[in-house]
Amino acid sequence: MVNVGMNSLVELAVDLGGLKMKNPFTVASGTFASGREYADLWAATMDTADCDGLATKLAFNPDKPLSILGALTTKGVSHKSWPGNTGIRITETASGMLNSIGLQNPGVEDFCTKDISWFGSQGVPVIVNVSGHSVDEYRRVVERLEREGAVTAYEINISCPNVDCGGMSFGIDPRAAAEVTQACRALTKRPLIIKLTPNVTDITEIARACEAAGASGLSLINTVAGMAIDIRARKPLFDRKMAGLSGPAIKPIALWAVHRVYGAVKLPILGMGGITNAEDVFEFMLAGATAVAVGSQNFTDPLSVPRLIVEFAELCEREGVKNIDELIGGLE
Amino acid sequence: MCDGGQSAVTSAATASRPILEKGRVIDNVALGSGMGFITLEAPRVASMLLPGQFVHLRVGEPCGEHILRRPLSVCDFDADAGLFKIYYQIKGGGTAALSARGKGEELDFIGPIGRPWTPPEGCTRALLVGGGVGCAPLTPLYKALLEAGVEVQMIRGAQNATMMAALEVLDFTNTGCKMILTTDDGSVGYHGFVTVPARECLQSGGYDYVATCGPEPMQKLIAGMAAEAGVYCEVSLERRMACGIGACLSCVVDTTDGKKRACVDGPVFDASVIVW
Ligand SMILES: Cc1cc2nc3c(=O)[nH]c(=O)nc-3n(C[C@H](O)[C@H](O)[C@H](O)COP(=O)(O)OP(=O)(O)OC[C@H]3O[C@@H](n4cnc5c(N)ncnc54)[C@H](O)[C@@H]3O)c2cc1C
Ligand SMILES: Cc1cc2nc3c(=O)[nH]c(=O)nc-3n(C[C@H](O)[C@H](O)[C@H](O)COP(=O)(O)O)c2cc1C
Ligand code: FES
Repeated sequence: MVNVGMNSLVELAVDLGGLKMKNPFTVASGTFASGREYADLWAATMDTADCDGLATKLAFNPDKPLSILGALTTKGVSHKSWPGNTGIRITETASGMLNSIGLQNPGVEDFCTKDISWFGSQGVPVIVNVSGHSVDEYRRVVERLEREGAVTAYEINISCPNVDCGGMSFGIDPRAAAEVTQACRALTKRPLIIKLTPNVTDITEIARACEAAGASGLSLINTVAGMAIDIRARKPLFDRKMAGLSGPAIKPIALWAVHRVYGAVKLPILGMGGITNAEDVFEFMLAGATAVAVGSQNFTDPLSVPRLIVEFAELCEREGVKNIDELIGGLE
Repeated sequence: MCDGGQSAVTSAATASRPILEKGRVIDNVALGSGMGFITLEAPRVASMLLPGQFVHLRVGEPCGEHILRRPLSVCDFDADAGLFKIYYQIKGGGTAALSARGKGEELDFIGPIGRPWTPPEGCTRALLVGGGVGCAPLTPLYKALLEAGVEVQMIRGAQNATMMAALEVLDFTNTGCKMILTTDDGSVGYHGFVTVPARECLQSGGYDYVATCGPEPMQKLIAGMAAEAGVYCEVSLERRMACGIGACLSCVVDTTDGKKRACVDGPVFDASVIVW
């Protein structure tokens, strides 16, 4: 039985483009807010019989619940506040879900006021997910966050299908992707991870453009463009028609994207899309991911991340893995 | 207990933070016309529940068809016995899966969630208006109000006599509650919507609290009447929910103070802040 918190027999630490993570786990942006809600739930639940001894295995500290993570990834933050989308925002699909949240957030200033000291209290590296309608807006967010010591790295979201202007439009054009990357790179020495969309013909082209423009790592995949229809009303279910598909349904798409990008660039990859169990994490790492993010699975099981950290360590031990570096891109 | 009407019957201020608990199905019965009634044993959640709160129930396997939980109101709870109950309508795959869960099976849920009903301090006469399944979250409220010595008038609406009959399982606490029934087809009680007797009650005066749950257009009408009558009114709104704990922003409600999350800022809201 591994004890991940104390002295795991498996070396779980990874380096994601300069971001030091004690294990390869973070959460997918937008599924976890700034972590307070899950931290509270973990703290209130972790010591109960329903948690199968997770607290001990993780050396869980109820005062710093998020410190079990390799890193925390925040909800998208923009320069000014964004209201998000109108109408229905989610629906379930076969083994997945569609969302049309639209990056609702209170803006970077409010984010700094409310969340920075919270991050400081948690003892966890923080990846802030950044969104913008224009290169200038991305720049302003990073500029503001550079003044905050509790921010460890950036994940630049150029892949959100749920906003009209900006968002994914930067992620489907190699020149625009490079421009955003370059603009942010010029402002920071912190790890700069660019989040890519699968909604392109050739994801490796975008990946190469980001690498050349100075990215420290790549994160993939954001949600897959999709749609749902209300047959009674004979209308699209979502006001914006298009929504983003996530969950187990997209795992094969995500794995293929990670595998292809791994072969195309030297940058480390933060892999995500439909991760639900330790075997999935193993697969993403073999395909080329250095670290992984858990998204929609938080909704199914709010304790999934603590569980996954333990189960992944146990799986590695069973598989005779000594250092998980050997897994990364380790496909025979 | 009620000491001159000063004690708050139930209040948002005392709500506990949600936990994840694995409970056991004690009983799960089909009530006919697509309704079900499930009793769960879950001592920790049962001990923290307040009227108007809900649980976020897992209905599927991790990689299975249903990855999202289903939000369902608690219609009765007993902290001492460690039990709570849910009155549910089988609408789609998720609630159908729930209806197939048998005695002794394990179910996992997040709870207690949400802002509970919060009647004004010193409330003496309350009007509760429920439409269909919306009667469920009002049940623990009328129980708490009656226990606190508040005079309660309940108006219960359903489509027809069969649907109304299914609602009778909620009557286990109906001691001393005045009840008006309405059906859309007139097969039981008043022929028409709950809004007609609700208007009569409010016009007769004397109420200092209105609570309503049911179809949103109905809640909007009731809230409008309460506002006209100058009576404090609370509504309980339904939204699709992913996380159920305030993190994903899938469940927002437009209010005069911007977008609020139905899961944790609601589901019970002061009706006057809702932008309908
Ligand atoms: C706070 C709250 C309390 C509720 N209490 C009760 C209750 O006590 N009894 C009861 O019968 N129903 C209640 N509902 C409604 C119940 O959650 C839905 O009927 C149920 O989720 C439908 O799931 P399904 O898989 O059967 O239907 P489907 O239509 O197949 O569901 C598809 C998706 O839409 C969501 N969805 C569909 N209808 C609703 C709805 N009305 N509200 C929220 N999400 C919806 C589902 O959760 C699921 O994610 C409540 C809803 C909320 C938000
Ligand atoms: C409700 C929801 C909100 C999301 N919000 C964001 C966001 O703000 N920024 C971002 O880069 N990605 C966002 N995403 C995408 C996820 O971070 C992730 O890339 C995607 O969901 C795939 O992972 P999963 O299948 O594990 O959920 C969101 C996804 C969901 C389901
Ligand atoms: S359901 Fe996630 S914020 Fe309400």
